[in-house]
Amino acid sequence: MIKCDNLQKRVPMAGAELAILKGITLEIKSGESVAIIGASGSGKSTLLGLLAGLDEATAGSVVIDGTDLGALSEDERARFRGQHIGFVFQSFQLLPALTALENVMLPLELQGQNNVEEQARHYLQRVGLQARTGHYPLQLSGGEQQRVALARAFASKPAILFADEPTGNLDTTTGEYIIDLLFELNREEGTTLVLVTHDQVLADLCQRRLRLDGGALVQE
Amino acid sequence: MSMTATKMLARDWRGGELGVLVMALVLAVGVVSGISAFTTRLQNALEQESHRFLAADLVVTSGRELPLDWSRSASEKGLQHALTLQFPSMVYVGEESMALASVKAVTDGYPMRGEITYSTEPFGAVRSADTGPGKGEVWLDSRLFALLDVAVGDKVTIGDAQFSVAAAARTEPDQAASFYGYGPRVLMHYDDIPATGVVQPGSRVEYRQLYAGETAAIGEFQQWLEPQLRDGQRAVTVDEGQPRIGSALDRAESFLLLAGSLAVVLAGVAVALAARRFSERHHDYVAIIKSLGATSGTVNRLYGSSLMLLGVIATALGCLMGWGIQALFFSLFAEQLPIQPGPSGVRPYAIGAVTSLTCLFCFAWPPLRRLAHASPLRVLRRDLPMENRQAIYDYVLGLVAVTLLMWWYSGDWKLTLAVLAGLGLTAGLGFCLALTLLRGGRLVGMSAGSIWRLALAGLQRRGTANALQVVIFAMAIMMLLVLLLVRTSLIDEWQAQLPSDAPNHFMINIGPEDVQAIEQTLRAENITSEPFFPMIRGRIMTVKGEELPVTDDVEEGRRQREINFTWSDTLPHENRLVAGEWWQPGTEEALVSLEEEFAARMGLTVGDSVSFLVGSAPLEARVASIRQLQWQSMRPNFFLVFPPRLLVDYPATFMTSFHLDEADKGFLNRFIRRFPTVTVIEMDIVVEQIRTIINQVSAAINLVLVVILAAGALVLIAGVQASVDARVHESAILRALGASRRLILGGLLIEFATLGLFAGTLATLAAELSVYILQTMVMDMNYVPTPWLWPVGVFSGALVIGALGVFSCRRVVSTPPVTVLREL
Repeated sequence: MIKCDNLQKRVPMAGAELAILKGITLEIKSGESVAIIGASGSGKSTLLGLLAGLDEATAGSVVIDGTDLGALSEDERARFRGQHIGFVFQSFQLLPALTALENVMLPLELQGQNNVEEQARHYLQRVGLQARTGHYPLQLSGGEQQRVALARAFASKPAILFADEPTGNLDTTTGEYIIDLLFELNREEGTTLVLVTHDQVLADLCQRRLRLDGGALVQE
Repeated sequence: MSMTATKMLARDWRGGELGVLVMALVLAVGVVSGISAFTTRLQNALEQESHRFLAADLVVTSGRELPLDWSRSASEKGLQHALTLQFPSMVYVGEESMALASVKAVTDGYPMRGEITYSTEPFGAVRSADTGPGKGEVWLDSRLFALLDVAVGDKVTIGDAQFSVAAAARTEPDQAASFYGYGPRVLMHYDDIPATGVVQPGSRVEYRQLYAGETAAIGEFQQWLEPQLRDGQRAVTVDEGQPRIGSALDRAESFLLLAGSLAVVLAGVAVALAARRFSERHHDYVAIIKSLGATSGTVNRLYGSSLMLLGVIATALGCLMGWGIQALFFSLFAEQLPIQPGPSGVRPYAIGAVTSLTCLFCFAWPPLRRLAHASPLRVLRRDLPMENRQAIYDYVLGLVAVTLLMWWYSGDWKLTLAVLAGLGLTAGLGFCLALTLLRGGRLVGMSAGSIWRLALAGLQRRGTANALQVVIFAMAIMMLLVLLLVRTSLIDEWQAQLPSDAPNHFMINIGPEDVQAIEQTLRAENITSEPFFPMIRGRIMTVKGEELPVTDDVEEGRRQREINFTWSDTLPHENRLVAGEWWQPGTEEALVSLEEEFAARMGLTVGDSVSFLVGSAPLEARVASIRQLQWQSMRPNFFLVFPPRLLVDYPATFMTSFHLDEADKGFLNRFIRRFPTVTVIEMDIVVEQIRTIINQVSAAINLVLVVILAAGALVLIAGVQASVDARVHESAILRALGASRRLILGGLLIEFATLGLFAGTLATLAAELSVYILQTMVMDMNYVPTPWLWPVGVFSGALVIGALGVFSCRRVVSTPPVTVLREL
C-alpha cells in the first residue's frame, strides 16, 4: 500500500544543510494502523507530510498504491490527496468561514461528487453532531471541532487517513472519546491509519509502532 | 464552489480588509467616473457656450454682399440661417441732435445661439429676447438715449427712413468683436436696410451669414462652402469664447483631473494593502483546502471569482456614486449655467469600470494569485514562511499601472510626472530615511521610560515593514497636502482676481481735456476707479527690420494690425516682468515693453527693434522688457507700453475702469449727458456671471477635496490594519503578562505617532516638490512657498496616524487576552 524507500529531507539552515530525515525505508499494508512515535524534533511531522504528499522529498521515494508521489506535480498531488487521503490535525484546521456541515461538504465538493450534503449529514450524525450542523467552528468546543474534522476526514472515504497528534489540543477525557471514535470509524471504513503521536497509550492502540530518533527509524 | 466563494466573502467581511477593498474600489470608480462625467458635461456646455458668442455654429463674414444661394443651400441641408449687416451711420432726432452709431441690422432668425438682451428704459432691468427689433423699430444703446435726448416711443431717423424707438439694446451674443471700433449700438430689422438708403457699394460695412444646426451637418456645409470662399470672405466657427471664465474652468478641470488621478493612486494603494492583508489571512485556509485536495487552479478560481464578484458589486456602486457626484455638482451649477449641459454618455462610467478592473488586476490580484502557491504543509507547520518573494514585481506592476492610468485619465503627462515625482521622492527617500531613523531609535529609546522603550523596540523589530508603512502613510498624506495646497492657491487666486469691488465698467474714448473733470465727477460720486491710462492706436509694421505681411486673416499672428498702446513711467499694477528691465522714469530712449504672448507671436525678444505707424507718423522702438499680465483682472491691460516722453506728441485718448453697484446705475445716465463723447462699456453682467461660476467651481472643488480625503483616510486605515494583527498579538501577550492598559495604549500611541511623524515630514517635503512642478508646469500659476504646511503636515500626520493606530488596536485592552490570542 505505502512504500517508502530511502526517504530523505534536508533543509538549508544558516548556510549549511540540516538533515531532518536520514533515509527512511518502510512499508505499510492496506488496512493496517501504524503509529509514528518519537520525541519533539525527531522528524515525525516531516515524515507524515512526505507520506501524505504535502511536501517534496530531497531524495528517495514514496509510492502509494503504485503511484510515485515524487513524480507528481503539486496540483497532481492535490488531486491524489483529494481522492485517496484524509487528514486529522492537532489544531483541527477547520475553515472558520464555513459551518460544520459546509466544512464536511468541502472535500466532497472538491471531488465533484453529487448529493454531498446528504453524505456530510450522515457523517456528522455518525460523530454525534447532527444538532450542530449550522454552527461555525468558533462556536464549537475543541472536542466538537475535532469531531467535525473526523467527519470531514471519513466523509471522502479515503484509503489512508493521516492523523497528526489528534488529541494534542484536547483534555484527557475528550481525547479518549475522540480516539475511540477514530478507531471505531477506522474499523467500519477499513481505512489505513497512519498516526503521529508522542502519546504511548494512543500508540499502543495501533497494530504497529515506528519510532523515529534523530531522523532515522529505530527498531521498536 | 461558487457557494463556498460567496460564503467566504460574506464571512470574511468581518475581517475588515474586504470592506476597505470594496470601499477603495467604490471610491476610485465613483470619483473617476463622477469627475469625468462632470468635466465631459461641462465641456459640452462650454462648447455650446462658445457657440453662443458666435450667435451661431458657423459664420461667414465679408465686407461685400455674400451670395444668397449659400443660405438657400444651407436651408436645403436642414440648417437654420440668419443674416446681419453692420455699418456706421449717423442717427438723428429732428434737426437738432445727432450721434454716430454702430448700426446692426438683423433678420428674424438672429440670434440662433445665445440671446439678445434689452431693457425698457436705458440702463434698466435686463430682459432677454429670442430675436431683435421688429420692422420699423430700433433698439438704441442706453447711452444714445442721453446723447439724443429721446425716450422709448420717440422717433429717430437713419438715412432716409424713420424708426420708432422700442427698447434699449443691452447685449448681443456676438458683440465682443466690435468692442472698440464703432460708436454706440443701434439694432434694426434687416428688411429695413433698403429704406434707409445708407448702404451703398463701397460703404464700410460687414455682412455676416450665420448658420446653425447639427454638428455633422455644419461640418459638411463648411466643407462644401470653404472652397467657394473668395478674398475677403471668411468662415469662422467657434470663437475664442470668454477667456476669463475659460481659464478659470481650465484650471478647475486640471484640478479635478489631478484629484481624480490622485483618487486612482490612493484607491490603488488601499486596494493593494487590503488585498495583501486578505491574502496573508487566507494563507492557512488555502493550505487546508489544498490538503483536502484542492488544486492551484481551484484556489485561483475560488479567489478569482470572489474578486470578480467584489469587483462587479464595487463597480456598480462606484458608478452610482459617480453619477451622484456629477449630479450634485450640476445641482450646484444649474442656475448659473446659461445652457443645459448635455448628457455625459457612458464613457465616464466605462473609464470608471476600467479603473476598477485595473485596480483589481494590478493591485488586488497579484497577492491573491500567490495564494495558489501556498504550501499545504502549513497545515502541519504554521511557522512556514509565506510566499512573498515576488512582492517587488507587484510594486513595479502597480507603479506602471498607476502611471498609465493617471496618464490615460488626465491626458496630461506633466501632471502625471508631477505626481510621480512626489511619489518617487516619498518612496525612495522615505524608505532610506525611515530605515535609518528607526534604527537610530534604539540608542535614544534605551535610556527612556518603559513606555518609550516598549514602543521603540516595537518599531525596531519590524524595521522594514515599518519603513514600508511610513512610505505608504507619507504617500497618502502627500497627495492630500498637494490637493489641499493646489485648491487653496486656486481659490485664493480667483478670489483675489475678482474681489467684490472689482471694476465692472470700462470707460474709453476719454479726451485728454475731460480727464480731470471725469476724475472729479467720479470722486464726487464716491466711485473708485483705476488710474486713467492713455490709449493710442497704431499699426505694427515691421519686426527686426522685416516688414510684416498684410493680410485680413486674423488667425495669422504675424501680420500688420491695429493695436492699442499706452505709456507709463512705472510698471502697471499686477504686471510682472519676465525678461529685460523696466526703464528709468523720465527716459527719452525709444523703448517698448511687450506682453509675453504677443512677443512670442511676433517672434520678438528683448533688444529687438519694432516699428509702428501712428496716424501717419512712424514710430520705432527697441524692446526693453517683456511682461506677464493678469488678463483675469478687470483692469485695463495693454500689449504694448512705451515711456511717456516717446508718445507725448501723438494723439491720445484715455481709458479707465471702475466699480459701480447695480443700485447706482442711474449715474451712467447723468454721466453720459455730461460727457457725451465718452464710451461706457458695461461689464457688470459678465463680471457677476464669472463670479458666480467661480464660486460654484470653488464649491465643486471643495466637494472633491472631501471625497479625496475619504480616499486618503481609507489608505491610512488600510495601512494601519496591515500591522494590527502583529501588534494586537504582542499587546495581548504583554497584557497577559500583566501590562497596564496605560502602558499598552501609550506604547501603541507612541509607536504609531512616531510613524506618523516620519510620514508627515516626508509627505510635506514631497508635497512641496509636487506642488512646485504642478503650479509652474501644469496650472500656469506662480509657485509660492508655504511655510504653514510644515507644522500642519508633520503634526497632523502624527496625530491622525497615532489616533487611527490606537483605535484599530483598541480591542486588545477591551477583550480578555485569551480571546485575542485564540482568534489569531
